Amino acid sequence: MHYSTGPRLPISMNEPQGKFPVESPDPGRWLDDHGDYLFRYAVFRLRDNTAAEDAVQETFLAALKAYKEFEGRGSERTWLVGILKHKIVDHFRRAVREAPLGEESDEGPEHREFFERSEPWQGHWRDNYAPNDWHATPAELIERSDFWKVFNDCLSPLPQRTASAFTLREVDGLKSEEICEILSIRVNNLWVMLHRARLHLRNCIELNWFKS
Amino acid sequence: MALKAYDKLKHAVRYWLLRTLPTCQQTVEKISQSMERSLTLKERINLRLHLWTCAWCQWYLEHLYLIRKTARAKADESSEFIPGAGLSNDARERIRRRLTNHN
Repeated sequence: MHYSTGPRLPISMNEPQGKFPVESPDPGRWLDDHGDYLFRYAVFRLRDNTAAEDAVQETFLAALKAYKEFEGRGSERTWLVGILKHKIVDHFRRAVREAPLGEESDEGPEHREFFERSEPWQGHWRDNYAPNDWHATPAELIERSDFWKVFNDCLSPLPQRTASAFTLREVDGLKSEEICEILSIRVNNLWVMLHRARLHLRNCIELNWFKS
Repeated sequence: MALKAYDKLKHAVRYWLLRTLPTCQQTVEKISQSMERSLTLKERINLRLHLWTCAWCQWYLEHLYLIRKTARAKADESSEFIPGAGLSNDARERIRRRLTNHN
């Protein structure tokens, strides 16, 4: 048994509960305490190290400006993640303006090989690709960092925008309309992207997590 | 005896349905869409009947919801579990300089 962060001090020995000192924002300490966490959060969604570094930097700069409004309400990390979310969405919007999605754009692999090509069972699952029983519940998977590694690695081969659409929808739970607006795509486009991402990810997780 | 006949009939009905209904390839696309919009009555009936006959597509549906539930449960704290490196030393120093210059 070991404590990764050390035993916590009783609350009375820290700041007054739920309050941080208002007068002195300390960006250096923010960077030490939350820099890595925010970076991992951003890189998981943006799938690009440079973009994630920029988003983290912009978050701290915005946090310095907005410090007065924060006034020590709630957790510092939650507050910073809230700002980072906006910076991530800003990045998607910018990226879309710089490289609009063409008609013939790549929405991800179709994975036709998952299904029989010829009669009598054309269009039905092929044995090697048919889903199996996972015998798993969300509660078992959530805290397994190796599951998240497989999850993350399985998203990597997808086109960036398809992976982004999938993360915005399935991890962050945004509505279809919001995602279409952010990525500047039509809803039919989004449905195709999500379908292909799910088809790919489900198979990849089964191969790399449940069968290995 | 009657049970055997019933099983045979059930099997025949399932087989016939599988051949008549939309295929698995078409069904998995509908399953995905059902997570985005409400399906029409006809789509819903086809999906229900297909799922009744096809354990594979049942698992497919189950897995998509399992992935969604797992991913969303910890969306804000997901960085706790996502492995991988934090900021590189270069990036950390660059951000530190930028934040100090700001003051």
